[in-house]
Amino acid sequence: MGKMKIKAKLKGDIVKVKAMFTSLMADSEEAEKKKIKVEYITQIVATVNGNVVYEVSTSGFMSENPLVKFKFKGAKKGDKLIFTVTDNHGKIQTGKKKIK
Amino acid sequence: MDRRKFLGVGLAAFAAIVAPVAELNAIDFRATKPKAWEAEKSAEAIKELYGTGGLKKSGITMTAPKLAENGGSIPINIKSDLDFESIAVFQDANPRSLTAVFTIPKNAIIDYDFRIKMRQTAFVTIVGKTRAGVLHMTTKEIDVSIGGCGG
Repeated sequence: MGKMKIKAKLKGDIVKVKAMFTSLMADSEEAEKKKIKVEYITQIVATVNGNVVYEVSTSGFMSENPLVKFKFKGAKKGDKLIFTVTDNHGKIQTGKKKIK
Repeated sequence: MDRRKFLGVGLAAFAAIVAPVAELNAIDFRATKPKAWEAEKSAEAIKELYGTGGLKKSGITMTAPKLAENGGSIPINIKSDLDFESIAVFQDANPRSLTAVFTIPKNAIIDYDFRIKMRQTAFVTIVGKTRAGVLHMTTKEIDVSIGGCGG
């Protein structure tokens, strides 16, 4: 896994989030064809102030470098949005971004 | 250390930094429903994940292109006003059906954008389970002109 790009913007009382993760998202069949390692993100979790605001379990059939967008309520400017991404090898990566 | 524990430790560490007391409801669907991820067809995968309850064809709006030029990246949007506990995405285009399972926090706004891969023209099915245990679904056929997954 490489780097993450996160954007979080507060508008009214809703925070709009856009996040991109670097991963090949290669499932076994695809990895075999391209002769690369099987590597895909299995779970993405986003938290703010200790509360989960976004959570998804994924498979290798999400597109390469997955881009996700979502909205949530209950955060203010300056709060930190924390992403935790787990891949199929159990590797964990985190990314932080202050809400603008 | 298994993945679930490992994740729990990681999350707990972050929670400790952000807030002293935190309630995290992370569910790893891969650990709890391993069979669903192996199913080849949507119908099978839905059965594995949510059981054999009746599916109501309402409540979820899916926005997706009718014709996808690039099967490697098909944008999909899910919207709903119902109080869902989880929403799962299935497709029949790839070797295995289940693509993603969203765990929905309480009072969340259900408006999710993401992208999936599809090797061929097939149906994409979204199934959601409300906190009351009712299953809702919506389905759409997406035409793929160039396959994803390197095919």
